[in-house]
Amino acid sequence: MTVAFAPSSSRSGEWSAEPGFGVYVHIPFCRHRCHYCDFNTYEGLDALFAPYVDALVTDIERWDGEPSPATSVFFGGGTPTLLAPEQLGRVLAAVTERTGIVPEAEITIEVNPETVDETTFTALLEAGFNRFSIGVQSLAPHVLEGLGRTHSAGRALEALAAARRAGASDLNADLIYGSPWERPGDWARSLEGVIDAAADHVSAYALTLEEGTPLHTLVATGRVPDVDGDVQADRHAVADGYLRAAGFERYETSNWAQPGRASRHNVLYWSGGNYAGFGAGAHAHVDGRRWWSERLPRDFISAVEQGVTTEAGFERLDDSQRGPEALMLGLRLKSGVDLSALERSYGEGFLAEREPVIERLVGAGLLERSGSWLRLAEQSTMLANDIICRLL
Amino acid sequence: MDQEHQRAIAVIAHIDHGKSTLSDRLLQLTGTVGDRDMRAQYLDRMDLERERGITIKAAAVRMNYKANDGEIYQINLIDTPGHVDFGYEVSRSLAACDGVLLLVDAAQGIEAQTLTNLYLAVDAGLEVIPILNKIDLPAAQPEKYAQELAQLIGCGPEDVHQISAKTGQGVPELLEAIVERVPPPKGEPDAPLRALVFDSVYDAYRGVIAYLRVVDGRIKSREEIAFIATGVEVEADEIGIMAPDPTPMPELETGEVGYLISGIKEVRLAKVGDTVTTRNNRDADPLPGYREPKPMVFAGIYPVEGDDFPLLRDALDKLQLNDAALVYEPESSTALGFGFRCGFLGLLHMEIVRERLEREFDLSLIATAPSVGYEIELTSGQRIEVHNPTDMPDPSQIEDVYEPFVDVLVVTPTDYTGTVMQLCQGRRGDLQAMNYLSPERVEIHYKMPLGEIIFDFFDQLKSKTKGYASLDYEPAGMQPSKLVRVDVLLNAQPVDAFSTIVHRDKAYDYGKTMTERLRKLIPRQLFDVPIQAAIGSRIISRETVKAKRKDVTAKCYGGDVTRKRKLLERQKEGKRRMKQIGTVEVPQTAFIEALRVDSDGASS
Repeated sequence: MTVAFAPSSSRSGEWSAEPGFGVYVHIPFCRHRCHYCDFNTYEGLDALFAPYVDALVTDIERWDGEPSPATSVFFGGGTPTLLAPEQLGRVLAAVTERTGIVPEAEITIEVNPETVDETTFTALLEAGFNRFSIGVQSLAPHVLEGLGRTHSAGRALEALAAARRAGASDLNADLIYGSPWERPGDWARSLEGVIDAAADHVSAYALTLEEGTPLHTLVATGRVPDVDGDVQADRHAVADGYLRAAGFERYETSNWAQPGRASRHNVLYWSGGNYAGFGAGAHAHVDGRRWWSERLPRDFISAVEQGVTTEAGFERLDDSQRGPEALMLGLRLKSGVDLSALERSYGEGFLAEREPVIERLVGAGLLERSGSWLRLAEQSTMLANDIICRLL
Repeated sequence: MDQEHQRAIAVIAHIDHGKSTLSDRLLQLTGTVGDRDMRAQYLDRMDLERERGITIKAAAVRMNYKANDGEIYQINLIDTPGHVDFGYEVSRSLAACDGVLLLVDAAQGIEAQTLTNLYLAVDAGLEVIPILNKIDLPAAQPEKYAQELAQLIGCGPEDVHQISAKTGQGVPELLEAIVERVPPPKGEPDAPLRALVFDSVYDAYRGVIAYLRVVDGRIKSREEIAFIATGVEVEADEIGIMAPDPTPMPELETGEVGYLISGIKEVRLAKVGDTVTTRNNRDADPLPGYREPKPMVFAGIYPVEGDDFPLLRDALDKLQLNDAALVYEPESSTALGFGFRCGFLGLLHMEIVRERLEREFDLSLIATAPSVGYEIELTSGQRIEVHNPTDMPDPSQIEDVYEPFVDVLVVTPTDYTGTVMQLCQGRRGDLQAMNYLSPERVEIHYKMPLGEIIFDFFDQLKSKTKGYASLDYEPAGMQPSKLVRVDVLLNAQPVDAFSTIVHRDKAYDYGKTMTERLRKLIPRQLFDVPIQAAIGSRIISRETVKAKRKDVTAKCYGGDVTRKRKLLERQKEGKRRMKQIGTVEVPQTAFIEALRVDSDGASS
């Protein structure tokens, strides 16, 4: 890997120059789909839990990729914690078996507050997970209701506390801001709440209306007011203020961490790293080849059962595509990208071709440059798409 | 045929008053077209005409009619174009006639344009036969409108023919009246040839087909001939008559009407109004009334896709082959790229050309706001013509600006008199005369700047009078006016496509309308974009598109980089398709929307 990323330290040791190798595992089940969600997840498939776990384990065992010890593992969903800790442990064990896991690896699982208590956390820690990403979203009851969350604010805070009690050292709180129901005070209180609950990592995402979601329909038909980009830009600034005051540092557009607590798996994505992906609709990437699995849980399971590949599609990027992609990803990181490294990797002229545009954007104060490093100016964070697409 | 047995007539009528149906009936009753071959509106040739229900190009057809006196008469029916933009062509068609049929819908009465053409016919000394059509309709009011027509042309109401062109009722009597009342042609059979070109059309196979009437002498096939105005000398490859299909003839005699094919490939070399004579007689006096077609309305026409520019040029070249009035020259606009500044006879002409370009040549076009041609007297004493607002010099160099005026004729039910006057007054109109056609209907004459009616005047007139008023206008010379150019600036950069010349009193309204419109049409950018309207360096209106503050994807869900990349590539493609005005990115649709003229339009 040649793409540099934000130097940071891991939970135990040093991981700096190499982003490593990641493993993503997708659990496509939910008790209840939230109104804003367009993720690959399904309600009412409880009967598939056991066969899905079996299929996942088999698929991991059969994986024919070049094994490389994982520096990060991420169980995402859906709601991974709908599965029993033993089931999740079996899958993690299969990963350990197949690719190996480095001793100081970051092993994250997404947790929905209403599905866990202290004993769950204890069991998950036991199974090998060492980082929990808790779906708090908001601490304002009317916002939670609007979003279609089924847990209370109290339950979310309780989940954070329970994880601590169980001995978890790495805790992320997932938050959503800028929803139509949120008042400025709601956002401040949500931030204060997760800071007080001692989360050491906060992911704060601007609510996005995705087509096909119930929320999108509600807005399109005028029953719920649209989200306001200006308000979201304000809220992002508020988040940065609160979190910075509490010792956090923003390392990516939507992610803040206490020193040394940046998510290694997250950084891996943005630095163009390699990762395997297992489970329905999971995405993977190795050296310019990106591929994804069968989207529907049933199709995924039956592919495994029939012994055929679970891969549903792929794309292979050549250097002329990888260069711009590395820019697109890397500029999301606060540290930015090392242009000379990109040029070394992706060909002569990569930089020269973009120089006039870069110059103009730097002149306009939208990009910053130091040495061969290029990054978004602080004020451009929320304009990343507009700026980045000029550089592709 | 001897002159005594010839009659040449035209029908003047408003759109939809039944001209084509009456022509069909005449063709049928004279046996020119067999009952089995009859199809509706036989004489209208182009699809576009049929769809719009109007006739753009005239045709002439010969009918042989056996009258009640037992004699055979040759009736030449000359079709006239039916719209305000083609007034000159109408006048040439009328010059080729000895009488006109004034055809009026018995349910609607006479309309403005018919009235204008009637005045033309009376001025030309033509015999006028008044006719009320559609008397079979339940809504027909023949008594009322017969009274109106009788008063107009000074005859008795009983002299007004009442017919139904659809059923044929009253048409045999009309044929008799044509023979009895229209005088035969008065030309000199032994004088050298002089023939009037009253129409000229381009045919892909035969080249230009000129329709003409032999005024003096005769024209023979294979004869060496000359067009006096254009100086073109050619051989008459074929002459013939339309009966109604083209039928070659060895010669056309004095008073006869027919066509001439001579290998000419462009209609501008065989223009309407020109005189055809024999080659050895080319110094003969031309027939009176010839005029160069003069474009009155100008607009920039641009391809939506810049790559289509060569296609647009080819298309205009082809259209010009059969449209002598269309003029164009290449121009470039920073906002719209490469296109053409085109000159048209009027708004309808512009619409027809644009529609044909889009339909026949499959082009997607943007047109700038139409403007008229101005004459500008500079402080240096020099006088220049300006067809494009961006060519207008700086106010400091201008002594006087002259703009074209028109005599406007509106015919309206008296209930709307006030409404019409208000509308005209609001457009800098100057009342000239009013004349009550009947207690219910009035004709109103205004003198107005052409620039005031080319926007949406006609639409406004129609909507404010519930469709009852009709409009006609004709050029009335140039007059000085207090005109200024209003520029629209994006981020201090003038956008040439939005510059316009308006009266000083209306500059503020135009500026405000455009800046407000653009504020809604221009997407937010990375910085504040001021939108200003200005006269010279003086800002008269300003709006601001605030900088956008959020344009970022929240997350990269589950490592799906492919989706994120596609999203950004689409966004990049979107940017590529935008026009760059200085540093401001403007979507193509903003130009189209901003240039659209509607009821809250730039001219109101």
